[in-house]
Amino acid sequence: MNTHPNQSRDALPPDEVMLEPAGQFAADLRNLRSAVHRAADRQTAQPVPFGWLKAAKRRQRTSQHRVVLAWSLATACAALFCIGSLPLLRHAAPPAAEQKVIDVQPVVIDDTALLEQIDNTVSESVPSSLAPLDSLDNWSSTTSTNTESSLNAPEKKNVAQ
Amino acid sequence: MVSTELPPLARAESVLELADFDEVVRLYRTRIFRFLMASLSDRDVAESLTQDCFLKAYNARHQFRGESSLSTWLTRIALNLVRDHLRSRRMRFWQRTRDTALDIVDVGEWIPDGASSPEQVCLQQERVREIWKSVERLSRQQRTVFLLRFVEEMELAEIAETTGMNTSTVKSHLYRALRIVRDRASGKSEGEQ
Repeated sequence: MNTHPNQSRDALPPDEVMLEPAGQFAADLRNLRSAVHRAADRQTAQPVPFGWLKAAKRRQRTSQHRVVLAWSLATACAALFCIGSLPLLRHAAPPAAEQKVIDVQPVVIDDTALLEQIDNTVSESVPSSLAPLDSLDNWSSTTSTNTESSLNAPEKKNVAQ
Repeated sequence: MVSTELPPLARAESVLELADFDEVVRLYRTRIFRFLMASLSDRDVAESLTQDCFLKAYNARHQFRGESSLSTWLTRIALNLVRDHLRSRRMRFWQRTRDTALDIVDVGEWIPDGASSPEQVCLQQERVREIWKSVERLSRQQRTVFLLRFVEEMELAEIAETTGMNTSTVKSHLYRALRIVRDRASGKSEGEQ
């Protein structure tokens, strides 16, 4: 038979059995009830003093203030945390983005400075590394006249014949 | 069979019908204090929470529509205060001193003089102390149901309405609480159950 292990243990008896413990236990419960009732009666035997609820009102106000204070403190802490973490966030930005920002910035150069720079560049002497080009120019000019004269020679011969 | 000891006023009238809230305090102060004292075993805390309970009831008096009795409504407020207090006490775990704790001896001393001999009185007091000690060690829900049934003498349906549980859940808690208290009071350990 499939029964849950706790089934027999948790099976409730009828209400009458449960609600009215019998015998000595019932008497003990009655005694406990009378004892608690008498203890409470003795404590509240004095009439309710004037302004009895004032203490409760004060406590309520204090707890409300405490809640407001706690929220203010939490908000202030959060704000401080945000302010404190701002420099960290700025430093933690990706470098590529920074580079982009630098590239975008226009370079402003004064006109006179630019003209001076151009003059200097133009008036510079030919650097030594470019010197062979001069000789090459001379050579090409001489060779061109020689070839021209050699080409013209047979023509002259034919004309003579 | 136990019977409820509510004053007739509680069944018929609501807070709004009472011109003077002082009358409500006068009628129900002892009952609420008794429940709080038995639940928390601390006179000073019970007194403070009784004041809080009536202040809350006063502030929320317009929300009371008379669907339940005034006593049930006030007990429900007290029950919420007990729950909040126990929760905050758990948070303030370093404050364990209970200077104003209701002494078990105090409870035992207030047994009515029905016993015929001093020996019987001593025996009764001892048994009440044992039961009180056992009740203090019940879980919160079991203890609440037990106290509402056997100290406040509420019916099961009323307990269910006050605690917001099903009647079957109330029965289950009550049955287990009774069994634990009976076994502990009779000296049985929990393993023997």
